[in-house]
Amino acid sequence: MKKRKSELTFWQKVVRYKTLLLMCVPAVVFFFMFNYMPLPGIWVAFVKYNYRDGIFGSKFVGLQNFEFLATSGKLLDLTKNTILYNIAFILLGNFLAVFVAILLNEMQSKMFKKVSQTIMFLPYFISQVLVGILVFNLLNYDTGFVNGILTSLGLEKWQPYSDPNVWPVLLVIIYLWQQTGYNSVVYFASIMGIDGEMMEAAKVDGANGFQRIRYIILPSLKPTIVILLLFALGGIVKGNFGLFYNIVGTNPILYDTTDIIETYVYRATMTDFNFMTASAVGLYQSVIGFVIVMVVNYIVKKIEPDYSLF
Amino acid sequence: MKKKLLAVLLAASMIAGLTACGGGKSDSSAGESEPAQEESSEAEAPAEGETEAEAPAETEGGADTASSDDPWADVDTSEHVKIVYMTTGDAPSGDKLARYEEMMEQLNAILTEKVNAELETYFISWTDYLSNYNLTLARMDGTVDLVGTASDWLDAWPNSKNGAFLELSEDMLKKYAPKTWESVPAENWEFCKYNGEIYLMPEDNYAQWTNHGFTYRLDWAKEAGLENGVHSWEDMTTYFRYVKEAYPDIIPWDSDGTQYATMVGGWISSHSNYVAIDGINSGAMWGGTKDDLYTVYSPYVTDTDSLVEFAKMMKEWDEIGVWKTDVLNNTASTNRDDYRVGKVAAEQHHTQTWTDLVSHTAANKIYETDEDAESGFFYFGEESQNVVALSITHGAMAVSAGSANPERALMVYDLIRNDPECYKLFCYGIEGISYQINADGLKEDPEGFNSETDNINGITNYWWGRNDDLEIRSADRDWDKIDAMYADYDKIKIEYPYGQFVAEVDDIDAKINNINEIHTNYMKQIAFGKYSGTAEEIVAEYQQKLKDAGIDDVTAELQAQFDALYK
Repeated sequence: MKKRKSELTFWQKVVRYKTLLLMCVPAVVFFFMFNYMPLPGIWVAFVKYNYRDGIFGSKFVGLQNFEFLATSGKLLDLTKNTILYNIAFILLGNFLAVFVAILLNEMQSKMFKKVSQTIMFLPYFISQVLVGILVFNLLNYDTGFVNGILTSLGLEKWQPYSDPNVWPVLLVIIYLWQQTGYNSVVYFASIMGIDGEMMEAAKVDGANGFQRIRYIILPSLKPTIVILLLFALGGIVKGNFGLFYNIVGTNPILYDTTDIIETYVYRATMTDFNFMTASAVGLYQSVIGFVIVMVVNYIVKKIEPDYSLF
Repeated sequence: MKKKLLAVLLAASMIAGLTACGGGKSDSSAGESEPAQEESSEAEAPAEGETEAEAPAETEGGADTASSDDPWADVDTSEHVKIVYMTTGDAPSGDKLARYEEMMEQLNAILTEKVNAELETYFISWTDYLSNYNLTLARMDGTVDLVGTASDWLDAWPNSKNGAFLELSEDMLKKYAPKTWESVPAENWEFCKYNGEIYLMPEDNYAQWTNHGFTYRLDWAKEAGLENGVHSWEDMTTYFRYVKEAYPDIIPWDSDGTQYATMVGGWISSHSNYVAIDGINSGAMWGGTKDDLYTVYSPYVTDTDSLVEFAKMMKEWDEIGVWKTDVLNNTASTNRDDYRVGKVAAEQHHTQTWTDLVSHTAANKIYETDEDAESGFFYFGEESQNVVALSITHGAMAVSAGSANPERALMVYDLIRNDPECYKLFCYGIEGISYQINADGLKEDPEGFNSETDNINGITNYWWGRNDDLEIRSADRDWDKIDAMYADYDKIKIEYPYGQFVAEVDDIDAKINNINEIHTNYMKQIAFGKYSGTAEEIVAEYQQKLKDAGIDDVTAELQAQFDALYK
């Protein structure tokens, strides 16, 4: 059997597996068109772009487009903010998502399960712009809801829009409120996929709820968690522009703790429509993301080869 | 077998879907699909009716006999084309759209008759207008033909450099836009050149003042003890303080967070002879002085004491409560409309806006509800008598380099700019519906006029070639006050001196970007009094950052370019 297989030529293989190949075609075409064909466009990060000459006809300027980011003196701070926020989002987000998924799984009433899942899912569909307006109307000093309550209770007003230190917490809370419902679906689905017989057996053996979670559900979720973490790590240098821009806006008092690469680049290049610089930054982020994924994947492979991406 | 069939079908439908999407996209980015589009529109044109094809032939013949002044008698206009005009402004909808279309129908009838072309408008809505504007130009696929532009607020020069605009040769202008060519003096064409080529057709025959200042309630200022109105920043403080005390329900000035640059710019021109160079960065941070125009400096680095004073006064304004506490996050301010109905006490914008606010128009309800209401204007630069006239390229028309019919675009522009009939239609709308002329020859609202829907001027936003020879003054403007103000300006103004200077910023771009960012971040805090620590400290910190970012290098580079041009 083995021998015969290796004797097959490429074309014979094509003929033999044509159905499978055919089924792959849409995905291959999709990725080729949207992820590979635009790749040469990266070149725009290295030229002085001129509309008439096009990307490849424009003058090559080397690393000049990266200069502004490097000379701003902020690259480290920005990268640090971006990464730290993303770590918080990824770790807390996944932790909470797993937690919620387990809770949902343990619920007995089907009705209650559905309703709570829907309610948690809803914020995901609210546009970031609206979230920004909601937050501003909750928290602003003059007419905000929170300050209205504080005043009526005779307490001193709270001024979050002048205090950079509260924003890391606020932003993480807002992120979790928006994303947890959505993220938990994946985990909930993989819990549903756990073999029912295992659970039955555990029950018969007298394992209580917590023990079942600890010894069956969590270990079964481990591959999912690892893979989702790996995926998330690839984007760890890419900030969540929508969230930060809509909620923090362009208030420089808060930049120390809330400025990420995206928002900085947006502000600095918005006025002169410089997409060479924007592409340069995008490339910088992609390269770092690539390195991180490779390193982490390598580490995972060393520890537990089955869980690695490739 | 069935499965196989299904797989093939699925795959096929998926690919079909993908190519359909891809096709749509490449339409806008790749130039290749464009000829196909044009061909189809060409094919449509004759199908629309033989009559149209005949029409131009008739008029051409008619023009020959009736008058020989058809400047385009020898231009081949046999093919009917569509010229797209791009402007900033929100696209009309509903009744507004209907009014606009009525007007366009009449206008296009004339344009078809005269040059066998029709006009269409491509609106760049105000949200993020600069990005969308530039992005549309970057497409270069013939989406737009005529482009409304401006050297100081719409990136006219960067776009010329990037190749977005067509070089307009003298021959072209003479042949296709003859009236425009004649009406613009030679020295003004010089201001429209970059590297020796003309790119812009300037709005150089239209009196307007866009120097900024505060519109305020003159009646309240008098109550506050300022008998002659506000004439200095200190008076402004007195005024705000009074308003806050006397009218606690009113927010003196419901500013949003974007006003910082104009504020500090206004402060500097009020306290020095600084003349800023347009179009280098949004803060206009480099320039000369009235006495020494061609020595470049940045007052943001040199005028430390003045900036400290500014920081202190703005802190005072913040403490008075001139604006909302969270002004820096305030993006939803409707201050100007609030001024019209008396909910705020000041509006910071330019003279042109004041000419509207000071007049007893239907929209300005304050004059109806309060008989004593009056609006004054405190213009920046009043204290130092430092006012610079508007650059003639504050509004200009360019032709997109991607245009398939640049000749016809020029012809259409020539008509809109110089032909009284076209001009009035495009600027004011249809007479009797959108405006009427009263006995004094002034423009007024006709019976049943609805300013929300019938104001064509507010839809077409034709700010790229207005013409005082054809302008009709509005009856509802308070011309006595406006003319008095213009006369004051004329006494002290200097012409914008740097019209010919187009900065080459390739080498200093990175520095300017970083300076922009520093300026924005610090000035927002300074101009709204939101900084911590003392005024001296924040200004020192700001100036140190500017120096670290290389502001002196930029100044030196600009000086070198100045020397090359002016010496």
